Amino acid sequence: MAEPVRFMQQMVSLEYKFRASPTLLEYGEALAEGRIAGHRCPECGLVYVPPAGFCTICVVPTNTAEHGVDVADRGIITSFTVVDPIQYRGQKETEVYVLASILLDGASGTIGQQRIAEVPPDDVNMGMRVAAVWLPKDERKGFDPRGGLGGAIRHWKPTGEPAATLEDFAEHII
Amino acid sequence: MAKVPTYKLEFPYKRSVGPVIGTFLSGLRDGVILANRTEGGRVLCPPLEYDPETGEENPDDDWSEVGPGGVVTGWTWIEDPGPKQPLDRPFAWALIRLDGADTSLVHALDAGELDRVKTGMRVRPRWAAERVGHITDIECFEPEAS
Repeated sequence: MAEPVRFMQQMVSLEYKFRASPTLLEYGEALAEGRIAGHRCPECGLVYVPPAGFCTICVVPTNTAEHGVDVADRGIITSFTVVDPIQYRGQKETEVYVLASILLDGASGTIGQQRIAEVPPDDVNMGMRVAAVWLPKDERKGFDPRGGLGGAIRHWKPTGEPAATLEDFAEHII
Repeated sequence: MAKVPTYKLEFPYKRSVGPVIGTFLSGLRDGVILANRTEGGRVLCPPLEYDPETGEENPDDDWSEVGPGGVVTGWTWIEDPGPKQPLDRPFAWALIRLDGADTSLVHALDAGELDRVKTGMRVRPRWAAERVGHITDIECFEPEAS
């Protein structure tokens, strides 16, 4: 008699097709060109990156032709996490690394989950000024359905400029 | 640039099945369909740890073989099966009360065409070529008459 069955394997497999809005496709095209492009609300002036196609506060639609505005590929680390990757199955990271929220110069909100490199994790601080290190143009995928800039920007590195003061970004700390 | 990017998320689970479902799956691997019994004598297939009517724990030593044939007690037709479904052609999900059981088991019924499926029809299992101790050890059920 064979051993009793005690376990079963079950693969939960979810396949996503992401149909991007025209606004996000335009955002992706700008990234492929090396630009970070947001929308400025015509009423309150907030700059959304990535653009949503509307202002969530004023509830007015925005579009790239009328409200498109490029923001800088540099900004301030408003908060960060040092990740010491557990070596679970499928883990691709082997070394300690840093993910940060960055307030880009010219944007009204932060972008999250940004990789910080070319600096020891212990030296990363809130207020540190960083700049994008772009992928070579032919390696940029542009639009990334999982959000963010990973298809165009390799990581962010410190610029060496003086750190921002807390007042510059206090309202953006989560 | 692709307008419809795709990506896949996968979670490989290894689930502990417990003694009751474990006994049932061991039976499937060995080519038999096992049922357990409540204190009140109802024969449950698929087997359950508890009596659904009273909530009492079922005896752990009262097992019997049921089927392999049975009767369809309810069904729904799948005209266009998805990639994860057990058959690649139109089929029915059916509730099947196996001979000797008092409850019904859900499984795929390969009836070929919609008008061949009837509540009350008799069906039998089609076993998978390789059995590993999983519900898919029964590939599907098929009409007994065919």
